[in-house]
Amino acid sequence: MGIFKHLIFAITLFMLSDLAESRPVSWAGGSTIMYRTNSMMSSYLFHYSPTYKYSIGAEYVNDKYFNNHFINLRSTYLLDRHNTKISQRNIYLTGGISTKTNQDFSYGIHGDWETRRIFSSFSVINKHTKEKNYTENEFQLGLAPYLGEYNDIHTWVMLKAKKNTINNDWEIYPFIKLFQGDYLIEVGSKNSHWDVHFIIRY
Amino acid sequence: MYKILVMFMVFTVSSVSAMEKSGGHGSHNHESHNHESHNHSASESANGSDIAFPEKMFSEFISDLANVQIVIVDVNGMVCDFCARGIEKVLYTDDAVTKVRVSLELGKVLIAYVSSKKVDFEEIKNIFLSNGQNATGYIIKKI
Repeated sequence: MGIFKHLIFAITLFMLSDLAESRPVSWAGGSTIMYRTNSMMSSYLFHYSPTYKYSIGAEYVNDKYFNNHFINLRSTYLLDRHNTKISQRNIYLTGGISTKTNQDFSYGIHGDWETRRIFSSFSVINKHTKEKNYTENEFQLGLAPYLGEYNDIHTWVMLKAKKNTINNDWEIYPFIKLFQGDYLIEVGSKNSHWDVHFIIRY
Repeated sequence: MYKILVMFMVFTVSSVSAMEKSGGHGSHNHESHNHESHNHSASESANGSDIAFPEKMFSEFISDLANVQIVIVDVNGMVCDFCARGIEKVLYTDDAVTKVRVSLELGKVLIAYVSSKKVDFEEIKNIFLSNGQNATGYIIKKI
């Protein structure tokens, strides 16, 4: 079991990710389907969590910037979690590798901390492609305008700051996150481009 | 822009530090409390408990129940509805579970088990851990 655990960790480190996302690891035995679209790419992702510590999945990516299509194998490993009565903090290692060519891969770190009222996260992802290597940095800060109970519709007003080393320019834009039950949607807009993220968990 | 991001990071780190300090103490107290003594029978449960007992939640929960045992679990890390979904899903895979109620506000989960179920807190802790949360204490009440 110990060897298996280390093997999984090593594979995860090797495959190291793509995009920071809400809750990149589910509960033990949980599956997640995601759709995301923004000015750079759109993608469909399925991932499965054998335990709450890691997830493995596959993602179909339409890279709009480089006009490229590929399937990305992805994995996320929960490096550290700290639970208190009022908060949860997570640090994840995350990575992906393209099935099209081994020259396309990504790896990075993603962290978040949240209470029922405040959400904050960061991610630093290094992306290696045939065309260019670059880094994506992202920060998010969110506030829940009201505290919903279990099964309610939950609303978060969020601010996202993104920068990649291609444009080398920070983009800051607001978005809204809504979730109820097993469904979550994030919608934002920047420079007349929609940034949409939809998640179903089961 | 760089200054704003640095300020954001400082704010976040200081918030994390302050909040986890206060929350961490609370959780420590919960964890250090031995709840084994709260295995109440029906008559004992009428006298209440010395740990935070969710009276209103409990009353609503048992309104349509009979001949079951209710386990009230204190949970750390249950701050988000979306991430607490797995608790319910995993608990309902046990045939002995007849009803589950989650309270994000109280940080508690109420579980109704059939009366014949031998409740094992280690098993409950593992269920919560498999969802990424920590069960820190419990009370059992039979109705």
